[in-house]
Amino acid sequence: MRNATRLLGGPLGAIVLAFFLAAIAMLIAGVSPVDGFWALFVGALGGRQQIAETLVQTTALLFPALGITLAFRAGLFNIGAEGQLVIGGLAAGALGAHFVAPGPLAVVVLLAAGFIGGGIWGGIAGWLRARFNANEIISTLMLNFVALSLASYLVSGPLKSAQAAGAETAPLPPQSWLPVLIPDTRLSIALLIAIATAIVLRWVLSRTVFGYDLRAAGEAPEAARRGGVNMPRMTWLALSLSGAIAGLGGAALVTGVLHRFNTQLSPGYGYTAIAVALVGDLNPLWVCVAAFGFGILEAGGLAMQALADVPKDAIHVIEGLIIIVLAARRYIATRAEGAPI
Amino acid sequence: MDGVELDLRAHEIHALVGENGAGKSTLANIAFGSVKADAGTTQAVGTVGLVHQHFELVGRLRVWQNVLLGREPRKGWLIDASAARARVLDLAQRNGLPIDPDALVDELPIGVQQRVELLRELERDPAVLLLDEPTAALAPAEIDSFFTTIVQLAERGSAVMIVTHKLQEVISYSKRVSVMRHGKIVAQFETARTSIDEIARAMVGGEVPHVAQRQKTGLQPCVRVEHLSAGTGSVAIQDINLEVRAGEIVGIAGVEGNGQTTLADAIAGLIPYAGAIAVDGRIGIVPQDRNREGLVLNWSIVDNAMLGRQHLRESRRGPLLDRAVARADAQAIAQRFDLRAASLEVAARTLSGGNQQKIVVGRALLGDPQFVLAYQPTRGIDVGATALVQSRLIEARNAGAAILLISFELDEILALADRVLVMYRGSIVAEFSGQGIERGRVGELMAGARAS
Repeated sequence: MRNATRLLGGPLGAIVLAFFLAAIAMLIAGVSPVDGFWALFVGALGGRQQIAETLVQTTALLFPALGITLAFRAGLFNIGAEGQLVIGGLAAGALGAHFVAPGPLAVVVLLAAGFIGGGIWGGIAGWLRARFNANEIISTLMLNFVALSLASYLVSGPLKSAQAAGAETAPLPPQSWLPVLIPDTRLSIALLIAIATAIVLRWVLSRTVFGYDLRAAGEAPEAARRGGVNMPRMTWLALSLSGAIAGLGGAALVTGVLHRFNTQLSPGYGYTAIAVALVGDLNPLWVCVAAFGFGILEAGGLAMQALADVPKDAIHVIEGLIIIVLAARRYIATRAEGAPI
Repeated sequence: MDGVELDLRAHEIHALVGENGAGKSTLANIAFGSVKADAGTTQAVGTVGLVHQHFELVGRLRVWQNVLLGREPRKGWLIDASAARARVLDLAQRNGLPIDPDALVDELPIGVQQRVELLRELERDPAVLLLDEPTAALAPAEIDSFFTTIVQLAERGSAVMIVTHKLQEVISYSKRVSVMRHGKIVAQFETARTSIDEIARAMVGGEVPHVAQRQKTGLQPCVRVEHLSAGTGSVAIQDINLEVRAGEIVGIAGVEGNGQTTLADAIAGLIPYAGAIAVDGRIGIVPQDRNREGLVLNWSIVDNAMLGRQHLRESRRGPLLDRAVARADAQAIAQRFDLRAASLEVAARTLSGGNQQKIVVGRALLGDPQFVLAYQPTRGIDVGATALVQSRLIEARNAGAAILLISFELDEILALADRVLVMYRGSIVAEFSGQGIERGRVGELMAGARAS
C-alpha cells in the first residue's frame, strides 16, 4: 500500500507527466495527440499478435532491468547492462551454433552460458571497483563499447557463419530454441523465466541474509561495513550477479527470438532498462509492471509511425522525458529534505 | 517553534539552554535572518552576527581571507592584501584575540579556528552576537580564554546570546538564562538567583533522572592493546598501550581530532594497524556517528536491530533471515532502553536522536558482550536519554563487561570512568585512576600541557 502511494507520487506521476509533455510536443508538430496515442495503444495491444510482440519487448527489457535493480539496490550504478546482455547473447549464440544436447538440456545449458558470460562481464567492473576503487559508472559504460566491438569482431570473423550473408553466427538447431508461449508469435517462455527471476530476486533481497547485506551496503555503506558486511566482496558479487541477469536476458533473446547471435540483438535494451528499473522503484515486482509499460512503448511505436504519422523516435522522447522527470523529482525530494545532493 | 519572545540587552550575556531539538538553533537562525519566521518579528538595533556550531570557514584560505571574505579592501581590480592584513591584525588586537593573519585555516587548532570565525563576525561590528554551541569543540583551557573575550565584548556594549547545553558555563558567565522546551520558552531566570539543578529541571520538565551507581567488580584483563600505531597525518596514532579489565570503564579523554577515531577504527578492525590488539570474548561497538555508521535510516527498528548480528548462527536459519529473532531483539532493546516509537516497524529516520542512539547502544549491548567500545555514546541526545544510556553502560560494567569509553565531553568521562587516559596528538599522554582524577589537570593535558 505504502509502495502504491509512493509510485503514484513518483514513477507513475512521472509517466503521466511525460505523456502530457509528449502530447504538447505532438501538438506543436501538428499531430493530434489523441490519434497518436490511439495508434500507440492499438499497435501495442490491438490484437493477439500485437500483445505477443509487446510481451516480447517486455521480456527483453525485464532481464536487464532486474539486473540493474540488483546493482542499484547495492548502491552500484551499473550502466553496463547493454554490454552484459550482448556478452550473454554472444556466449549463448557461439555455443549454441555448435552444441547439441538431448531435450531441454540444450537450452538450459545455453541460458547458463549467457548467465555466466554476463556475470563475468559485470564481474570485471566489480573487480575493478573492489580492487582499485575504479568508478563503476565509467567502467560499466566503457565495457559496453568493448562488448559491442568484441561481438562485432567475432561475428564478422572467427564465429561468422559460412551460410549467412551478414555478420552473424550459424542458426541454433530448433531443439535449442525456447518453447513458444503463444503459437504463431515470437513470444517464448522467456517471459515466464523473466517473471520467475523477478520473484526470486525479490525473495533474495527481502528474505535472505545476503539480500539484507546487499541492501545495507546500498543504503548505508558505513553502517554496513561496521555491521560485518564485507564490502569489496559485496561489490564484485553484486555487479557479477547484476551482469549475470542481464546476460541471461541476452541468452533468452538468442534462444527465444533470434535463434542466432548478431549485433542487432539489442536496440539499446540495456539503456532503456535503466529507466524501467527506476520507474519500477527498484522493486522487482513493480519493475515487471514498468517493463510492460515500456514494452507497450517499444512495440506500439512502429504503429504510431505508420498510422498517425508520428515518428517512432517520439517514443524515445517519451522515455527520455520519463527519466528527466524522475531525476528532477529525486533532486527536488533530496533538496526538500535539506540533505546534500 | 512557536510564540517565542526573547529580548537581549546590551552589556549582557544571555544564555539560551534546552535539550536537543528544543528549537534553540532555529531561534538563533531566525534572529540572524537565515531562516524565515512563519509569524512575528525580530528587531535589532544594528547588525547581528552569528557564530555557528559547526564552523563555516574555508579551510584552504588564509585567516585574513576568511575574516574579510566578500568584504576585502580593494586596490583597483585587485585585493589589497596588505591593507587586509593590517585590518585583521588591528581587529584582533582591539578584541584581544591574537592571531596570525597569514595562517592557513586548515592548519590551525580548533580553538584558533573558532577565533577566526568570531573575528569574522566582529569585523562587521555587530550590535548583537549570537553564539551557537561555541564551546562544543574546545578544550577546557580554550573555553576559559574564549569566555574572557566574550565577557569583554559584553562589557563594551554588545548584546550576546549563547546557545548551549553546558550548564556550568551558563552559571559562570551569563547574566540571564532562558530555557526552551518543545519550541517554547518555558522559563527565564536571573542567573545570580538560580542554580544548575533548577535550570536542568526546567529543561527536562521534571526531575532529572539519576545515573546508576558503579559497584566494585573483579579485575580480569579483557582487552589488551600493545604498541598500536595506525592512520596517517594529523589523526595518526603512535605506540598506544592500554588495557581494559572486566568490570571496568576506561575513559579516553581528549579534544576531538586527536586520533580517537583512528584508535576506535583500529580496535574495530576497520583499518590496518601495526601492533597488537587482543580481545577476550565478543565485542559490541557503539560507533561515533549513529546516522552514518550506526543505522540504516530508511530501515525499521527491527531491521536495524539485526545489523551486525545477521551473520550469527542464532539470528538466521541457514541463508535466510530469522525475523522472529530480530523482532525479539528489537523488543528487548525497546524494553531495556525505554524506546519511544509508535511501533518497531517505523523507519529509524523518524525517531528522535535520543531514541536512535538507544537502538545503537542497545544493539551493542545485546547478548552481553565481554567488551564494549563506546564512542561518544551520548553525543547530541537529551538529558533523559543520556542518563539512561550511561546507566546501561554502568550496569554492563557492573555485570562484568570491559568498557572503553571515548568521549569529547570531559564531564562524561569523569562521571563514568574508573580510569582515565588522556589522548593528545595521537598518543596517550597520561593516566589517572581511583581518587586521583583531577579535573583541571586532565583539562590541561587535553589541551597539550606536558605531563609531569
